[in-house]
Amino acid sequence: MSLFTLGIARGLLGQVLGMVIGMLLTCAVRILLGWEAWAAEPAWTVGAVCSIIGFLLGVGSLDDWLKWTKGIPTPLHHGPPVDKPAWTRYFSVDYNHKVIGVQYTVWGILLLMVGGTVAMIFRTELARSGLQFLGLDLYNSFIGMHGMIMIFAILLGVGGMANYLVPLMIGADDMAFPRLNALGFWFNVPGSILLLLSLFIGGWDAGWTAYPPLSARGPIGYQLFFLGVFAIGLSSIVGSLNLFVTLLRMRPEGMSLFRMPIFCWAVFATSLIQLTATQLIGTSFLMVSVQRALGMGFFDPRGILGEVSPMVGGGDPVLFQHLFWFYSHPAVYIFVLPGLGIVSELLPVFSRKPLFGYKWIALSSMAIAIVGFLVWGHHMFVSGYNDILRIPFMYATLLVAIPTGVKFFSWLGTIWGGKVHFDTPMLFVLGAISVFLIGGLTGPILATVPTDFPLHDSYFVVGHFHATMFGGFVFPFFAALYYWFPKVTGRMYNETLGKIHFFIMTPAFWVQTLGQMGVGVMGMRRRIADYDPTLGAGQIENWQMAVTIAGFAIAFGVMLMLWNFFQSAEVGVAAGDNPWRSRSPEWQIPSPVPEHSFPAPLHVVGEPYDYGLADAGYVTTASTGDD
Amino acid sequence: MAKNRRHFGIATVLIVICTFVVYWVLDSVLLKPAAAVLEAGPIDYLFDLHIWLIAFLFALVAVFMCYALIVFRARGDEGDGEHIHGNGTLEIIWTVVPCFVVIYFAWISTTMLIDLSRPNPDEYVVNAEGRQWSWLFTYPESGAVTADLVLPVDTPIRMDLTSDDVLHNFWVPEFRVKQDSVPGMVTHVRFTPTVIGEYVLRCAELCGTNHSGMLATVRVVSAEDFQLWQSEQLAQAQE
Repeated sequence: MSLFTLGIARGLLGQVLGMVIGMLLTCAVRILLGWEAWAAEPAWTVGAVCSIIGFLLGVGSLDDWLKWTKGIPTPLHHGPPVDKPAWTRYFSVDYNHKVIGVQYTVWGILLLMVGGTVAMIFRTELARSGLQFLGLDLYNSFIGMHGMIMIFAILLGVGGMANYLVPLMIGADDMAFPRLNALGFWFNVPGSILLLLSLFIGGWDAGWTAYPPLSARGPIGYQLFFLGVFAIGLSSIVGSLNLFVTLLRMRPEGMSLFRMPIFCWAVFATSLIQLTATQLIGTSFLMVSVQRALGMGFFDPRGILGEVSPMVGGGDPVLFQHLFWFYSHPAVYIFVLPGLGIVSELLPVFSRKPLFGYKWIALSSMAIAIVGFLVWGHHMFVSGYNDILRIPFMYATLLVAIPTGVKFFSWLGTIWGGKVHFDTPMLFVLGAISVFLIGGLTGPILATVPTDFPLHDSYFVVGHFHATMFGGFVFPFFAALYYWFPKVTGRMYNETLGKIHFFIMTPAFWVQTLGQMGVGVMGMRRRIADYDPTLGAGQIENWQMAVTIAGFAIAFGVMLMLWNFFQSAEVGVAAGDNPWRSRSPEWQIPSPVPEHSFPAPLHVVGEPYDYGLADAGYVTTASTGDD
Repeated sequence: MAKNRRHFGIATVLIVICTFVVYWVLDSVLLKPAAAVLEAGPIDYLFDLHIWLIAFLFALVAVFMCYALIVFRARGDEGDGEHIHGNGTLEIIWTVVPCFVVIYFAWISTTMLIDLSRPNPDEYVVNAEGRQWSWLFTYPESGAVTADLVLPVDTPIRMDLTSDDVLHNFWVPEFRVKQDSVPGMVTHVRFTPTVIGEYVLRCAELCGTNHSGMLATVRVVSAEDFQLWQSEQLAQAQE
């Protein structure tokens, strides 16, 4: 079997060829214009655009559509590829949502490891004051890189859970648009490769937020970073469109919206944001890209004579922040809503009790998604925008606390009076609640402008958003991995290792996040390569050391989990169809799930979370009679 | 239900205790820099109010969660819990009560913010221009130009900020307030230094390679010393 039977190998070759072709094209145009043939920035920029197309052509995710243009029929192929080992389908274009879900998840975990490694490098640097082994520029590139890689990883993790679970939870055979689903995944691969490549051609030093004017004058790495984000953004848009249509059109008979498993509501709310806000980060980065490449100064304060003064009519750097945060704040809810959905999904199963206030939890996700669109300005309290804007954005931001509170209280209501089992997935759900509580409670102090002044752009913010990201995504994601591992592989993970992972990672994370907040209150700014050792009455270095050690403990826990999964996929005991005694449709079918998930169409005959009610079914594949 | 009432009674006592413990812990580990401006008074007051709120809400959720996990743990039986789908009254209570709490916080913050932003007719103006990676201060009254900031104590100050290149941010942790300096724009930040001493101005907006080292010394001096310093600057400028 040649290497190039794997789609991903062809795709990577296509990406390299695309890059070369793009660069040659740029040189050719420049020669025709009578300019010097080589100019690094335009060559890399055009090369990067062509490299994305090259990858997609190489991997084959555009094949069917190209055939349609010629009128060639393309019947959907089900099952592993013919004449090739079955595992190869995970490395090639495959239209089955379960394969795509696994592809998303695995690629997401890989990026999580890369992003985590980058974090551990600069976290080690920060353990002591003074610069030990990182240069200033590399440090600045690393913090942005850590942020953006993690965002990619989270989006992929969200995509993995949504693609694998949504069709199974609503009893659909697949997603509404299988080809688009595959394209949505494959955009991520060239996108993340461009992002990683940017580090090797100079990096980019303005953090993941890439505020101009700094991002408009830094190294060429910015262009690859912008285009990488653009590719991931396209993935988000087509992916969320697909989920939207699937959720609205492919539910079985009897499954009204309020009878969907609650995770579907979370995905619905998330898709609403992704489908409508992602364009804004694309636009803002594209505008900076064009400003760099073509000198179109959207955000350039200099006027035509090159002067910077309040009197000269230049571009507005603050405008970028409006465009950027219009996506990037709701993006936070893209990251956490699915995770909170996982918490709501798993709590009833392990508490053996119906989800408390189903409709309230479902609608609180929608409320967060909608209010989330109105709060972007809290990132700009000290940006220099009109002072008056601080007030409405403060009110809107504080409002987010209300639907979030509804979730917390409803979760408590779910546990109360149940019969709680402490398997590893449940432990991670409880860990998620504890960590998201820390993240949530430290929100209002940042939302009220007077207290935001001392905390804005300080390490306190770093602690706050790591708590929301870990509580809203990482812990629930790990809970989901442990919970559905037996469904995906048919085997059980090692419970002892799972518990060890939990009991290392959770306290370590508390130390990390509280430590980060603590040094922020002392007066440490975020995104600095070196800090003043006299802060906090000289205590700051001890805190930093504690945060670094906690970070390594978390990394160790994650390694333990991955080793557990690798090991258990081979030697774990057979898990059975429904080890958790769940009522959800995906647990009523064999593990691992067969190619065609459900033998017959589902009928919904009851409520999804009727634990504690004897003989109350949720779904049945049996024919209901007269059809 | 009587059993539930007993549970709630115990939980309430634990929440009260836990609130005070969490507040005490947070108050002793969160080491705020010393306050050196008038504005730190209301800001630190609001900060403290938030810490009480955090302590109470943390206690509320954490106590109920831990209590439920202990009391309602499965004791080796495979049965299910009570079949309760929810409680509309409870949901309305925990939607409406937080509404009032956040509106109260937003309201006091708004009035405080308006006070903090209010121009003072006697304010002393200093221009500050951020550049990679230093500050340039000009004093319109005297025409002095310096790299370090010198301010008179007990005088309302208005800093007019701008930038020569990229975004920077004016932040002295002891002064609490913070404001970006933006090229092509003049932004303001107001404060009244109350404590004579030396502080460090730290750029708080990522501004490239040496962002972490973009510091300037801020000296708050007595009114007489300030006059003296100002005339020295003028004499130097005339030489």
